[in-house]
Amino acid sequence: MKRTIAALILLAGVAGIAGWIEAAPEPRPADSIAAHQPDLENGKRLYTAAGCLSCHLPTKDDTAADRSLPSGGTALHTPAGTFYPPNITPDPETGIGGWTDIQFVNAVKLGISPGGDHLLPAFPYTSYIHMSDADVLDIKAYIDTLSPVKAANKAPELPLYLPVEQVMRRGLGLWKLAAFKPAPFEPDPSKDEVWNRGAYIVTGPGHCGECHTPRNAFMAMDTSRWLAGGPHPEGVGKVPSLRDLQKRGRYKDANDLATALEFGETLGYDKMSSGGMGAVQTNMSKLPAEDRLAIATYIMSLD
Amino acid sequence: MNSRLAAVSRTLLLGLAAGSLFAAAAAAGPIEDRQEDMKKVGKAMGQLAAIAKKEAAFDAAVVKAAGETIAESVKEFKNDFPEDSKDGPPETWAKAEIWSNMDDFNKKADDAVTAAMAMAAVTEESNFMPAMGALGGSCKACHENYRRPKQ
Repeated sequence: MKRTIAALILLAGVAGIAGWIEAAPEPRPADSIAAHQPDLENGKRLYTAAGCLSCHLPTKDDTAADRSLPSGGTALHTPAGTFYPPNITPDPETGIGGWTDIQFVNAVKLGISPGGDHLLPAFPYTSYIHMSDADVLDIKAYIDTLSPVKAANKAPELPLYLPVEQVMRRGLGLWKLAAFKPAPFEPDPSKDEVWNRGAYIVTGPGHCGECHTPRNAFMAMDTSRWLAGGPHPEGVGKVPSLRDLQKRGRYKDANDLATALEFGETLGYDKMSSGGMGAVQTNMSKLPAEDRLAIATYIMSLD
Repeated sequence: MNSRLAAVSRTLLLGLAAGSLFAAAAAAGPIEDRQEDMKKVGKAMGQLAAIAKKEAAFDAAVVKAAGETIAESVKEFKNDFPEDSKDGPPETWAKAEIWSNMDDFNKKADDAVTAAMAMAAVTEESNFMPAMGALGGSCKACHENYRRPKQ
C-alpha cells in the first residue's frame, strides 16, 4: 500500500499542476440505499472479517487507551509520509458518531468523506466497494454500539516537498478515475454457495487482494494476476501468492487451510504470523467456522 | 505431479536441504546459528502440531523431548543477535525492530522458553492442547513483530 500511496502523491502533483480538477466518483444520494433493519450479529462478524480494529487501533504509547476500541492513531509509516488511521468509535466530536447511513456508505464503499474529500486508499474502499449496502450498514450499526472514545485525529505528516493535503486529495480524485472501478461483487452462478461466500469475503470485507494482488502501472490491483502475490507494501520482502496452494504443497485441502486460519502458529502453521498476517489470522480465528471454510474453499480453488 | 517427478523433486529438495546444512556448519556466524536453532524449533513444533492435529497419537515422551528441544534452542537463539548481525549474507528475516526493542524481544523469547518448559512437563493428554495454545501463541507474538516476510 505504501507504493500505492507514493504513486498517488505523484498523481496528486500532476493534479496540482493541471489545476483544481473536480474528479469523480460522485457521492451517492441518501435515497440510493434501501430501507434496512440492522443485524448486529452480522455487523460484528463483518467488522471482524474486515479487520477494522487492526488498523484503527490506538497507539501502544497511549497506555490509558482501551485497545479493544477503534479509536485510531497507530502510525502507518509509508515512503510518502506518515498517516494515522482515524477514530471510528461513535464519539460525535472526534469519531464517527452522528454520521448518517449514506455518509458511512460513501466513505466505506467510495472513499468519500462526509465533507466531500477523497480518502486515502490505505483505507481499502477499493475492496469494500464489493460489500453489499446491507453488510456495510450492519457494520455501522455494530460500531454504533461500541463505547465512544474521545481521541482527536492526527493529520498526516508529509515530507516538505510533497503537496499539501488538499492537493493530494484532489489528486486522489484523478487516481480514482484511472484506477478505481466502483463495481459491486457478482457471485458466480456456476459455483456453489460456500465458494461464493468465500469469494465475497476474500474480495470484499477481507480485502485480501490489497496485499496479495500485485499492482499495475496505475497502482490499482491487477485483477489479471488476482491474489498472485507481490512486493510487500512495507517495502521489504514479498507477499505470497494464494494461487495453486494445493499443487505447491502449501496446504493439503480447504480444511487444512481453514485450520491454519483458525489456529495459525498454535498448530505450527508458521507462515501465518509475519508481514501483518498475524493480525489477519487473529481476526479469522474469531469468525464462525463456516466463514473460514468458505474462505479456504474459495482460495484453494484458485489455480 | 506424477510419482516419478515427485520422487525427483523430493531428492532434489533433500539434496538442497543437506547442502544448506553443510554450508551452515562450514561457515557458522550468528545468523547461521540462529537459523539452525530455529530449524530445531520448527522440527519439534512439527511433532507437537502432528499430535495437536491428531495426525499422531499423544506420546508424553515425544512431548517432553520436543518441549525441551524448543526451550534449549530458544535460549541459545536469544544470544545470536549481536549488533553486527542485522544483515546477511546469508539472507536473514530478522527485522531491525529486534535491535531497537531488545528488551521486548528478549522478554518474548523468555515467554517462549517458559511455554516450552510447561509443554515438556505435560504428562496428561488433557493438558496438551492448552500448553500447545500457549506455546504457539508465544511463537506468533514474536514472529508478528520481529520476523519479516521472505524476499
